[in-house]
Amino acid sequence: MDGARSPATIHLVVNGRACDLEVAPHALLLDVLRDVLDLKGAKRSCDTQVCGACTILIDGMAVSACTYLAVEADGRAVLTVEGLAEGERLHPLQRAFLDAGAVQCGFCTSGMLLTARAMLAETTAPSREDVLHYLRGSLCRCTGYRKIVEAIMAVAETAR
Amino acid sequence: MSQPPFRAVGRPIPRIDGLEKVTGRARYVTDLVIPGMAHAKVLRSPYAHARVRRVDLTRCRARPGVLAALCGADLTWCEPYYGPAFRDRPVLAIDVARYEGEPVAAVAAVDEATADEALDLIEVDYDPLPPVMTLEEALSPGAPRVHTGKPQAGHFADLASLRPVPGTNVCHQFHFARGDSGRALASADLVLDETYRFPPVQHVALEAHAAVAVWSETDGLTVWASTQNPYSVRVELAKMFGVPLARIRVVVPHLGGGFGSKTYAKLEPLAAALARVAGRPVRLAASVAEAFQTVRRCCARVHVRVGFRRDGGLVAVECGADYDVGAYADIGPRVVQKATYTATGPYRVPDVTLDARAVYTNTTPGGAFRGFGVPQLAWALESLVDVAAERLGRDPVELRRQNFLAHGEQFAPGDTPIDGKLEESLGRAAETIGWTQTGAADRGRGVAAMLKASVAPSVSEAIVRLHTDGSVTVLASAVEMGQGTRTVLAQIAAEVLSVPMASVIVVQPDTAVTPYDQTTSSSRSTAMTGRAVQVAAEDVREQLLHVTAAELGVAVKDLALDDGSVVTPGRRLTYAEVLMLRFGMSGGEIIGRGVVAPGRTAAPLGGSTPFWEVAVGAAEVSVDEETGALRVERYVSVADVGRAINPLLLEGQDEGGVVQGLGHTLFEEMLYQDGHLLNGTLLAYRVPRADDAPPTLECRFVENADGSGPFGAKGAGEGSLIPVSPAVANALARLTGVRLRDLPLTPERVWRALRARGRR
Amino acid sequence: MLRPFTLHRPETAEEACALLARLGEDAVPYAGGTELLLLMKLGLLRPPHLVDVKRIRELNELADGGRLTIGATVTHRSLERSPLVRARCPLVASVARHVANVRVRNVGTIGGNLAFADPHSDLATLFLALDAHVELVSPGGRRELSLGDFVRGPWETARRPDELLAGVRLAPWPSRAAAYVKFGVHERPTLGIAVALGLNGEDGRASARIQDARIAVGCVGPRPARMFTAEARLRGVSVDRVDDVVGAVGDAAAAGVDPADDLHGSADYKREMVAVFVRRALRVAAARAGGVEPATSFPYAVVA
Repeated sequence: MDGARSPATIHLVVNGRACDLEVAPHALLLDVLRDVLDLKGAKRSCDTQVCGACTILIDGMAVSACTYLAVEADGRAVLTVEGLAEGERLHPLQRAFLDAGAVQCGFCTSGMLLTARAMLAETTAPSREDVLHYLRGSLCRCTGYRKIVEAIMAVAETAR
Repeated sequence: MSQPPFRAVGRPIPRIDGLEKVTGRARYVTDLVIPGMAHAKVLRSPYAHARVRRVDLTRCRARPGVLAALCGADLTWCEPYYGPAFRDRPVLAIDVARYEGEPVAAVAAVDEATADEALDLIEVDYDPLPPVMTLEEALSPGAPRVHTGKPQAGHFADLASLRPVPGTNVCHQFHFARGDSGRALASADLVLDETYRFPPVQHVALEAHAAVAVWSETDGLTVWASTQNPYSVRVELAKMFGVPLARIRVVVPHLGGGFGSKTYAKLEPLAAALARVAGRPVRLAASVAEAFQTVRRCCARVHVRVGFRRDGGLVAVECGADYDVGAYADIGPRVVQKATYTATGPYRVPDVTLDARAVYTNTTPGGAFRGFGVPQLAWALESLVDVAAERLGRDPVELRRQNFLAHGEQFAPGDTPIDGKLEESLGRAAETIGWTQTGAADRGRGVAAMLKASVAPSVSEAIVRLHTDGSVTVLASAVEMGQGTRTVLAQIAAEVLSVPMASVIVVQPDTAVTPYDQTTSSSRSTAMTGRAVQVAAEDVREQLLHVTAAELGVAVKDLALDDGSVVTPGRRLTYAEVLMLRFGMSGGEIIGRGVVAPGRTAAPLGGSTPFWEVAVGAAEVSVDEETGALRVERYVSVADVGRAINPLLLEGQDEGGVVQGLGHTLFEEMLYQDGHLLNGTLLAYRVPRADDAPPTLECRFVENADGSGPFGAKGAGEGSLIPVSPAVANALARLTGVRLRDLPLTPERVWRALRARGRR
Repeated sequence: MLRPFTLHRPETAEEACALLARLGEDAVPYAGGTELLLLMKLGLLRPPHLVDVKRIRELNELADGGRLTIGATVTHRSLERSPLVRARCPLVASVARHVANVRVRNVGTIGGNLAFADPHSDLATLFLALDAHVELVSPGGRRELSLGDFVRGPWETARRPDELLAGVRLAPWPSRAAAYVKFGVHERPTLGIAVALGLNGEDGRASARIQDARIAVGCVGPRPARMFTAEARLRGVSVDRVDDVVGAVGDAAAAGVDPADDLHGSADYKREMVAVFVRRALRVAAARAGGVEPATSFPYAVVA
């Protein structure tokens, strides 16, 4: 039984839309999202899974797209920052980040939003400690984090 | 002249680029796709110091898909050296590699994978040379020289008088004195003489450096660059390639952070050189690990002697500061001289002798980083002021207050008088942290104050265009790197022209379109670029008023702007109507221009600071004495900003500055061993995370409308970072009795000091 | 970026082992990839073949039956959330919760963690205290090795090139009197201490005596190690007198490690921190024996 070296077709759902893509086994999901699907919201930063700038959700779970083979997304649902809003209607987290002033250079923002979304889906009545636990892998160099945590807590409160 | 209440200024208006950032639509350089774009990769020196004997690109060039491959020896068709202070930095190493990570060769190929594989085909022969890795090594007699040969000056007027010490690794010296500090110290009641060290640290902007360059016969060279000063990049490229300035266009999309790392040319020259040879657009993007090999903060060893009278008067300061600027000077010489000029901090000191040196070492070049040399000196001086307070039996807040410069007082002859109220900032900080109230037994509190000048002389120009429907375009080259400058510029224009924010567009910096701005750094964009926008908008207003006055037969002084119209009692003309009058038809626009260029003055550094940045920090800390782990439980930052054009954005800036300051205070340090950087990635270099931020973080602002910027504004953004390390160390000392003089205050360093102190 | 490779996706352990045997050094097992792909991006490893083991059903099992069996491709996330693990060995779930960050936990596997043998592995340290044994499968059959014998040194294990780590079995700790504490400022912990106390009576009885003590120390040496001398000091001590001996136990543990100077600190600092955190972990375990969850927290430390 030979393995695959040449591109294979994967079937996935990205931001709610079905996609068939031909990807090589060594293609990283971050590059496929950015360069093939033109979804530039996920960013390449540390490239070592420390910073979270490349965070996307796979079946609702936060994943470092920079260290995830595209072929692993076969048969799965991918959510990027571009899929958070519904048309013109922003996701409550996006709205909260804007209102709280939690966005500065914006490079960490996609990752922060998606990590927060995963946390809200996975945690009932999240506390500040829960937020900090999830953000342990999401770096920001601009904001000092206070407004980011405030924005996420505001959404957590209204979700109660 | 606008008076409060304002419609736009002073309001926490949501940032105008917020929506695109939360939806992932904001474009950074690495998001750009230019048709035909090639991808570049860089081969970097594995040695801190080595002769580059031979670079063989034959196999690399032969690989299909490789469009250009260059090494230093190939750059005979351009001027390969660049740099704002000294033109000492080659685009690619020529004969010598001077630091681990220096670019030695580069490849542009049809895609990234090809470029990556092509690097493996480059053969380089190095002859390792002994490196100098520390200040001590670089300054020792007979030390290997990082640079030999005569240095060439770069492009800045205030550095026209660079003073290297021939035959040594000292590339610049600065000396500033008044009075007779030796005599003053000799007769002082208390003299303290200590040495403090500040480590080499990294900016860690999440977006590393990136540029896309393309040449064309008609347009010349276009570069999309993640840069904080497109005009500085432009002048470097013009000199390098012998092209007129007008034929070089530098365009700046959003920056994913800057903090000084993206001032002055970094990757743009190499991208442009590759693009020239490849004949196609070339994209050169550094990884975060490569950013560690591009620029860092200048580390420093600061020796300070201070003299006090028994009654607490600060009588003399002598400072000898050595800054390690790494293998290439970058803007290091200005860092050194500008910071040392204000080494006395916010205090009145009659007798001073200040000396500083910029020293080359075989490490990542040191350049600009938020604070620009002042954090290093404030670390020393503000720690010493607390040591003095303890020895004199004085409260540290009171001792500072006693010696502060007063509002309006002269700092140095010819320079701008102090335009901030230090005492007010100190009072607010002390009150907010509860300084006079007894704190918890397991907590300690400390304060620190700072004063910083902004770069001078400098120039900012702006253009404001009013369209026939009353909407407005603002053209200015202040770069948006997260601090919110594009929003602030819009607010200023909206305020002057009395139009809604939604009808003001601020165009991205583009040297073909937006006029000259010296730099987005030095906390200057609101005060200087903002002022230029204000002047330009006022120019538009004047034109509107004059046209209306002539039409209505009233005096200009009886007219005002209100909500998109020119008004006088009983009459109201919309801007559209005014333009129709002006041009006699539907069409045309009113263009206003603003130039802010205070020019050279008699001030010691050649220009008078446009404002003084004044700030105070107060920290409350706890320490786990068994482990030395230090936590900042509470932090208060107070900045004297004149007028907060956007209080929400400003608060965000300062919160970020405090936490970034906690980085070098508690965790950050680039560690070298045997010539190699041990922790050049985020796996091993520790930056603050969300759970490191003080649980209580309060940023406050003093607003007395006493600045020369728009609506009385001054600058901000660096003052929140500078006091952090001494405030925290002072808090630690007051809690435990231990005084640390080397940053960062790692658990081990604190633990060791506590052990040396013994049980209390 | 990654260089091209051939991706194999065997459906059984036998197939996987046959591949590893055939391809030898050119093949590496691949599960979550959180360590492997990183090394490949850095260019430190460029394997022409990756053998993806995630389709092998038996590797994904979490089973009870005397010992707890954790299949190699079980993720940290699954371990953290598994009702079985939370019921049978809650300490394992709570330690898994704090490994690296949420993204690494969602994808990274227990097998990958143990097979990579990073000296800073929390789970390796904890599992050592819990009598873990790993199961290795090869074309020649299966064998079981104690974790202590499996992890030989930094990033070095006893796995032969044609062997696949199939899973790990451990003895769920019968009492609540256990704790894991890790400490450090850096991305990976500076030290990790696992403490487990076996009592001769029920939890909650103040006079219960320690009859079996486990102390494992990780991160400060080439591999996690049990502190047998320190453990011996605890035998026979009653739970309500643990505080009297923690000092001596901590010192014994510190004497039992031989750290090196590195990014995480100098040797003497690490040694002292071992003493400090063994004391602290013991106090937590003792409190838990009495049914009390102590509210203690230490800066830059996680108490699981």
